[in-house]
Amino acid sequence: MVVAGSHKYVSLARASLEVILTYRLSFLMNVIGTVFYVIAMFYLWRTIFGGNSAALGGFTWLEMKGYLLVAFLMNSLLTWYDEFMIGRGIREGEVASDLVRPLDFQTSRFAQAVGPVPTELATALLVAMAVAFAFGGVALPPDPVYAAVFVVSAALATLIKFGLIFCVAMGAFWTTGLYGLTTGRIAVQGVFSGALIPLAFFPDWLRAISAVLPFQGTVSTPALIYLGKVDGTAMLAMVAVQAAWAVGLIVLGRLIFRRAVRAVTIHGG
Amino acid sequence: MPLIQAEGLTKTFRQADKDAGLKGSVKHLFIRRYKNKVAVDNIDLSIEAGESIAYLGPNGAGKSTTIKMLTGILVPTAGRLHVDGLVPHEHRQRNARNIGVVFGQRTQLWWDIPVIESFNLARDMYEIPEATYRANLAEFTEMLGLDEFVKLPAARISLGQRMRADLCMALLHNPKILYLDEPTIGLDIAVKDRIRTFVRRLVDERGTTVMLTTHDLGDIEDICERIVIIDQGRIIHDGDLGKLKDTFARDRVIHFQIARGAELLPALLPSVRAALPDSTVEAGDDGSLSVRFDRFVFAAGEIAAAVMSRAEVEDFRIDEPAVEDLIKRVYLGQLTLADRPGSKAAPAPEPAAEAAAR
Repeated sequence: MVVAGSHKYVSLARASLEVILTYRLSFLMNVIGTVFYVIAMFYLWRTIFGGNSAALGGFTWLEMKGYLLVAFLMNSLLTWYDEFMIGRGIREGEVASDLVRPLDFQTSRFAQAVGPVPTELATALLVAMAVAFAFGGVALPPDPVYAAVFVVSAALATLIKFGLIFCVAMGAFWTTGLYGLTTGRIAVQGVFSGALIPLAFFPDWLRAISAVLPFQGTVSTPALIYLGKVDGTAMLAMVAVQAAWAVGLIVLGRLIFRRAVRAVTIHGG
Repeated sequence: MPLIQAEGLTKTFRQADKDAGLKGSVKHLFIRRYKNKVAVDNIDLSIEAGESIAYLGPNGAGKSTTIKMLTGILVPTAGRLHVDGLVPHEHRQRNARNIGVVFGQRTQLWWDIPVIESFNLARDMYEIPEATYRANLAEFTEMLGLDEFVKLPAARISLGQRMRADLCMALLHNPKILYLDEPTIGLDIAVKDRIRTFVRRLVDERGTTVMLTTHDLGDIEDICERIVIIDQGRIIHDGDLGKLKDTFARDRVIHFQIARGAELLPALLPSVRAALPDSTVEAGDDGSLSVRFDRFVFAAGEIAAAVMSRAEVEDFRIDEPAVEDLIKRVYLGQLTLADRPGSKAAPAPEPAAEAAAR
């Protein structure tokens, strides 16, 4: 992502936010959907804890609630809709329009994806606070350092997620079955990110697999940092891994895009 | 140096070569065979700044492929191409600042937000200085009558309004070259006129170079000085409208209404025919006489004199070949370079056409 000349991408993000705000009703419906989801997760985990104050997998019920809300927050930022929009643009030949404008394709798509993040963030926080209140409070970061590192980690998580979404959306160059790929991405990410079940509950072999995948960086890492479950050096190492995955996936996306465009512009689709 | 310079520009596409039916499809899954299709075949094109060019050809002739190479969307297979000194596909973003592109069938406007917001986005995208932006926006708004709908989202304006807004958006950054791909497709006469007048003024007042593809002859006659026709990937004509007529339609027909024609014509015919060799002289049932002649062999006056000296002419009219017919015949492949009428007597050899013929 180039910083110089970033003004145009800021405008692009703003326009994208404006589009979302135009469709208030559809946005509201999505929020309602996620509210049901988060409430269901809370009831499920409350049943698992069974009113015990004892820790499960290293989490107390108070911490688990914090974990679930961070997971909810991270899942609210960037969605299948971003894959859908990038893919639709590719299928409908928007790439050609983009090539005749002084814009970088990936940076433009990034701007359009993060444009609506402020509204996604605001509604997710509202829902999270309401749910936290209804379920008798949640764990907060143990000190401001963890809170600050959590913010950095959450930002990196969003970059990783964009990297994944962009790579998956590139599938639109080769297949019209992007929906299947997106569903697959969400399912795999749901498991390996720790969004459904914290990775601590996994058997060793499954945890070993998730350790070498980028998904844990999208939920597990920021959630563990939020709860102060890791100390200084381990925390920095986790953030460094996140940063590496973010850069790696974004570069990979660029390479796939370049290859696809070369195929299209040289062989003609 | 010309603004657009193409030499031997060629584009070959790879197409899946697959047998018909399910069997063919299955076979293709395992054994991939491809064949090459030449979309643009070794064309030379030289366009100076300020020219307005109609780029014509039947569907599939290679028009869009050429435009896509000029705009940098497609990479040429062979040949050299420079647009304002840049190789478009290598310097895509720099080239993008020099050009404006309007595709009649696709909008650059954002669908869901007010048109004016799309314009503002273009300002930021092309980093247009505020003063330039304001001046251009004011001018285009006035010329194209945009103020009635700029506050509406693109999804809620008519096709004609959308086209005008798209034109404005493509021009806000003062591009040197404007590519228009079927800009008036599906529009009503009034909007067509407005758009043609606007583009013509752009050429006259701002010196913008315009290259347009169209199937609408009104676009050509109102906007363009030069016509380039491409067929099967090759340029078969490059010149102005007059030259097109000289090249492909040298025949004129003069119809004479002769006094007491029905009675006199049988005797008259042989003598007129003798006076006008190489022309076709025919008598009509209603006592009319028509003479089809090559206007490089005879002047219309000579024909008129030859007839009038032999009979009393009550009325006459000259049929010029309609450009529309002409282009239709070119499209249908009824006129090709090889059988250009009387090419030996062609007034001046035409470099581009010669090049395309080799």
